[in-house]
Amino acid sequence: MRVLRYIGKRMLFIGPQLFGITLVSFFLVKLIPGDPAVMMLGPLATESTLAELRTEMGFDRTLPEQFFIYIKNLVLHGDLGTSWQTTRPVTEDLFLRMPATLELITLGLLLGLLIGVPLGVGAAYLKRGIVAKFSDYYGLLAGALPDFWLGLVLIFLFYTILGWVPAPLGRLDFFIIAPPTVTGALLIDSLLDGNWSAFTSAAGHLLLPVITLGLISGGPILKMTQSTMDRMLESDYSRYEEMCGLPKSVIVRHALRNSLPSVVTIVSVLYGFLIGGAVLVEIVFSWGGAGQYAVQGVLNADINPVLGFVFFAAVLSLIIYLIVDLIYFAIDPRVRG
Amino acid sequence: MATTPEPSTILNIEGLHVSYPVYETAPVRALRGIDLQVREGENIGLVGESGSGKTTLARAIMQLISRPGRVDSGRIEFAGRDLSKLSEEELRAIRGDDIAMVIPNPRTELNPLVTVGKQIANVARYHLSLPRKEADAMAMAMLDAVQIPDPKRRFKAYPHELSGGMAQRVVMAIALICSPRFIISDDATSGLDVTVQTQVLELLQDLVQQQGASMLFITRDIGITAHYCHQVAIIYAGEIVEIADTASFFDNPQHPYSVMLLSAFSHNPKLRGMWSKPEELIENAEAGGGCLFAGRCVRASDTCLKEHPKMRSIRPGHGVRCHHPVER
Amino acid sequence: MSVVLSVQNLIKHFPIAGSRSVVQAVNNVSFSVSRGETLALVGESGSGKTTVGRCILGLIDPTGGEITFQGNRIDKRNNVRSRHLRGKIQLVFQEPAESLDPRIRIGVTIGEPLRSLGSAREDRDKQVREMARRVGLEEEALYQYPAELSAGQQQRVGIARAIITDPELIVLDEPTSALDPTARSEVIDLLITLQKELDTAYLFISHDLSTVRYLSHRVAVMYLGMIVEQGSSQDIFSRPRHPYSIGLLSSVLLPNPRLERHSEVSLQGEIPSPIDLPNGCFLASRCPFVEAQCSERMPDADDIGSGHLVHCFKHRDVIDDEKGTLDYYERFQAEAEKLLSSGQQ
Repeated sequence: MRVLRYIGKRMLFIGPQLFGITLVSFFLVKLIPGDPAVMMLGPLATESTLAELRTEMGFDRTLPEQFFIYIKNLVLHGDLGTSWQTTRPVTEDLFLRMPATLELITLGLLLGLLIGVPLGVGAAYLKRGIVAKFSDYYGLLAGALPDFWLGLVLIFLFYTILGWVPAPLGRLDFFIIAPPTVTGALLIDSLLDGNWSAFTSAAGHLLLPVITLGLISGGPILKMTQSTMDRMLESDYSRYEEMCGLPKSVIVRHALRNSLPSVVTIVSVLYGFLIGGAVLVEIVFSWGGAGQYAVQGVLNADINPVLGFVFFAAVLSLIIYLIVDLIYFAIDPRVRG
Repeated sequence: MATTPEPSTILNIEGLHVSYPVYETAPVRALRGIDLQVREGENIGLVGESGSGKTTLARAIMQLISRPGRVDSGRIEFAGRDLSKLSEEELRAIRGDDIAMVIPNPRTELNPLVTVGKQIANVARYHLSLPRKEADAMAMAMLDAVQIPDPKRRFKAYPHELSGGMAQRVVMAIALICSPRFIISDDATSGLDVTVQTQVLELLQDLVQQQGASMLFITRDIGITAHYCHQVAIIYAGEIVEIADTASFFDNPQHPYSVMLLSAFSHNPKLRGMWSKPEELIENAEAGGGCLFAGRCVRASDTCLKEHPKMRSIRPGHGVRCHHPVER
Repeated sequence: MSVVLSVQNLIKHFPIAGSRSVVQAVNNVSFSVSRGETLALVGESGSGKTTVGRCILGLIDPTGGEITFQGNRIDKRNNVRSRHLRGKIQLVFQEPAESLDPRIRIGVTIGEPLRSLGSAREDRDKQVREMARRVGLEEEALYQYPAELSAGQQQRVGIARAIITDPELIVLDEPTSALDPTARSEVIDLLITLQKELDTAYLFISHDLSTVRYLSHRVAVMYLGMIVEQGSSQDIFSRPRHPYSIGLLSSVLLPNPRLERHSEVSLQGEIPSPIDLPNGCFLASRCPFVEAQCSERMPDADDIGSGHLVHCFKHRDVIDDEKGTLDYYERFQAEAEKLLSSGQQ
């Protein structure tokens, strides 16, 4: 019951938070110098056509007026405007591309957890020795290597040379028919549809980009796990448990449980970052994700996609932080108290 | 004529030296040649100020001196077994089961994410190899034994939800659940309200007696030992300077440091001044190789500065380490 | 004896976020302190003694009642930081290490209160040196940092800093709890000497009963925000009348195994929470002398004579039962005197 009340209170805040984010990003974007009408019609357009376009797009109104119209459309019609590049409504574009990004980064982070957490625990527990040394180097490399470079290397190795994976040209082989969209995540949708060939194709295409993101994000996850576990194993209560003669496995297990909040935190931070930050990997693998979409918008002074992306990303981040707080609730009794 | 057999010695410490290396200077000698015997069913009070080495002794007995500290020499025998020769597995079996420790400030030492009932049950579960349900039942019984009201509800409580006094009882329950033969209480009642302290001490004494266990009661408060211990030992700068049966000690304290500790309770500043040096006049006599207390001692002579005193028996059951013990 | 501080019917309740209950920290407390006198507020956790201290310094506003210092009202607007009161009320803290700025030299720390009074540099330096001498600190200590001093010396610094403005009242909040017994007695002796020299009033907040017995002229025993008994130090310690005072005093363990304190009063259980206190006497749930009226009304103060006040319906019965515990402290001191004065050559 208390949990529901807490969620309810947080929901109340989401509205104002989103409003604030939209406000700031709207004005920031609009304040970028450059005439969007010229960009859209090209340098040879006449003054009258430019003026016509400006009126049509509402660029001749004052900024606050434009903002008000934007908000009105968003709240009343769920309309984020249209992208003049794709000529489709932004919402449509994003509902196509967001799931692509989300599927990718979710799987990438899961892999990162699978790599980072066990190594982090091992490095903290066996302070010296191979595991700790390896973790040190790995953490260093993962932080230093650019993700797109790693992606390119993997493509070169596993596709160009070894030919073990399909070409990095999007999410599916071109001859495969996509399953009907339920969640937007191809793996899930193809299973729901019973479409085995779509499943294998999607999985094959996901392999390298997920490994790329997994290897890179595994670095910070490992570091966080290791340093937190270190602290927990040195803590008063770990020493006390040792004093009571509890077996080492129990002490480590308890220490891990106490480290979970930090790991959850870093995963949530990485998640929020990767929504946009995975763009380079998306480009390398021609993924057609949301980050790519936003970048195109910026390069083409196509404002609506950019704002739309910010809005979607903000909503996702707020949801993630809410989930994280609920996880804290579940793990840590002091937070509940 | 039948004679009652002497209770056997459960803990025997001989010549224990522990030090902590310090960068670029001589190591800090935390314990210097500690000799101590505790018999079964006996309760020895160990009194010292901060830095005297009392906590180091507690950890040394449990074989938990962590790097960079090291045990330089000496034996610690528990029930006839030399603890330094045991493997980590064997020590783990002893800790919490045969030798248990009651700690102060329990709220920081209990795991914040595990219920207190579980924490008590875990100790029984792993040491006595009990299935979960049985261990839980034992823990519940233990909560009752340490007089925690409403034990069923408190079983599921987390450490931060308990008051200081209750957390202290939980820690006692953890220490006593496997019926250890030897209990070390390290300043376990400091920080507690005085009425709660009384209850906790009474309870501890009862339970320890019931189980026939022995206890090493470490404290900064000499007053407690007068009422709860069979023997009193005074520790200064890593050495035991006096050890005696309680009655003998308080009737006739021999070491000037012991008398100084007792004089702190007097309301007569002149009497106190008779036994302690003002701060300005305190010298550091450690380098001289003589008595470690000489720098603070009001009775120190030249011999004291040069010759290190050995522990002598002044009368049966009363030993003192001093060249000029107080005679009355 | 001129009264320096007068507290009348002080009440302080703290609201609890998200609930209608309040923490009844201080409930109708009245007392006064005169020049050159030490009044001790004694109690365990939840007794409200620290909250009373904070109200007196004007750090929090009382919910009810009045605090008067030298004829001035004290509250959040008129407090120790106000111009007209600056330097007149001072505070000595419990943890000397935490109350001294680790990056500032001792000499500067001691002189700080004078800066807020606007005195010139040379005057300040002179005063600082004088204070150091008074509290028994060597001059070289003035150039050192807190970490270089022992706990006892650090507390002397705290005291020097408190007396440098020649205050009329010093509030001491557990000043010796963090010290070892030998340092403790030295600091207490210093406080007594200073009081005689400066004629300052002390409000001594503590749970350390033997120190209280030694240092204070008068004692007020607090329980759950109420003063259950107050009177001269001698009266309270030798002839306590309130069951809680007796329970509290008999819990003190003095280092003499022969002096057993056989008291009828044994306070079982925990101290109840100061939220939603019951009607009637707060001790009723734990008191061995309890009867019907105890749970219905709070007893008013009964004056036993020479300023000894008790809030208990049954104090006459209590004193009859407790004859064996009288003069416990006096007997201990007598025995200790004999022991300590013998054997010294």
